[in-house]
Amino acid sequence: MRIPGAIAHPCLALALLPLSGALAQEPYQLGLGYKLLDDITVGGYLSTEFSRGENINEVLIEDLAILTYGNLTDRLSFLLELESVDFYKADLENGTDSGNTRPAIERLYADYKVSDYASFRVGKQISPIGYWNLQPINVLRETTSSPRLSREMFPKFVTGVSVQGFVPFDETLHYTAYLQNTGDMDAKYINIDVDQHYGLTLEKSLSPQWKIGGSVGKYREQNKNRTDYFQLNARYDDERFSFLTEGIVDQHKQWLGSKETSTAVYTQLEYRFVPQHALIARAEAFRDDRVALHEKIGILGYSYRPLFPVSLKLEYQWHADSNNNRLVGSFSILF
Amino acid sequence: MRIFIAVILLLSLPAHAAEYAVVVSSNSTVQAMEIAKIKDIFLKKRSFEGELRIVPVNPIGNDPARTQFESEVLNMSREEINRYWVNNHFQGISPPTTQASLQSIKRFIETVDGAIGYLPIDMVDASLRIVHEY
Repeated sequence: MRIPGAIAHPCLALALLPLSGALAQEPYQLGLGYKLLDDITVGGYLSTEFSRGENINEVLIEDLAILTYGNLTDRLSFLLELESVDFYKADLENGTDSGNTRPAIERLYADYKVSDYASFRVGKQISPIGYWNLQPINVLRETTSSPRLSREMFPKFVTGVSVQGFVPFDETLHYTAYLQNTGDMDAKYINIDVDQHYGLTLEKSLSPQWKIGGSVGKYREQNKNRTDYFQLNARYDDERFSFLTEGIVDQHKQWLGSKETSTAVYTQLEYRFVPQHALIARAEAFRDDRVALHEKIGILGYSYRPLFPVSLKLEYQWHADSNNNRLVGSFSILF
Repeated sequence: MRIFIAVILLLSLPAHAAEYAVVVSSNSTVQAMEIAKIKDIFLKKRSFEGELRIVPVNPIGNDPARTQFESEVLNMSREEINRYWVNNHFQGISPPTTQASLQSIKRFIETVDGAIGYLPIDMVDASLRIVHEY
């Protein structure tokens, strides 16, 4: 008896398999989620952080989140992520604390795969721009902080539709086109409140180690200000070294007519002297003409992963304004 | 003379005889496949061959067939593979399904449309088609 893939979902097919016995699941492995059913996975993450500097002395449970995802048919899948940001915060400078236990929808979408050249996603999703935004949680990063570029220069989420896949005439080229024409599904933790956002991201694999790419797009904020952005990125990865660099230019058009520019760039080097231990150095520059801000940041960090989904990190940040210099550490885990 | 013949026979053997094969069902429309594509399928970067949805399957745990496949076809250490799947867990992508034994992998491939796996070459019979040897 053959089980047609077109009508039989693999897990259904497995259930029908004669003689072969039940599906053999790998035992639970930290960082890969827990399989509820053959094709439904539940997991989550937690990150804690401390910052100590001239104007700051705080400890926080920064993120607590659960996620679940799975396949509904052989072409249709879903993902839901609920997150509480700043779950608990203790300000040791002023002796106060606060909490936020209300979870918000960080992501909720359905994917429909037509082919390797076109897969559609509908719902709230991460904007596919640059490297950091696609891996925005502490445990997946090698530094506790993320570059300012990834936090302030484009909306972190799209509530709308995207289509992505390989480009048929060049399968080393991957594209994602995205469109939002409504407010955010849950605006609690967003960085820029937009009601319109669209763009295109391309990524080219030059070799197993080298990748280059970029994004171009536009968004309109709820206050009717508009921004055009143009971003480029490149990375190199091998067993010991990683090199990342990104740059972005934003052209802001205020509703009443004035035009301003902001730019951001960073370069990061990472050296894993053994798989569990890494040294990281990053240099950032950020300029925002709207608020006459010109900042430079240098970061030296150390990352220790006793297991890959468990991360202990320490970094020191040097800011152009030395009042903002600080020591930052974190513990995070993906489960 | 015997030594000379033995040397000639030794030299005439292939430098590296394939021990394993990546296989699909003999009823499948999938023919030969490049190693880069096989790698993408087992890392779930690709899911289709033409119109056919592909279902990769691994033997559970540290089966020698899996270890060999990871080093020769994926060209990745288990450490790198674990990192890869932890990163993908956050993206909602989980590793390929697993089967308890090579015998059940063979039956899975024979039975499920689009299934693809790897087996020792001596387990391959007329019910399967080799798309790559290593």
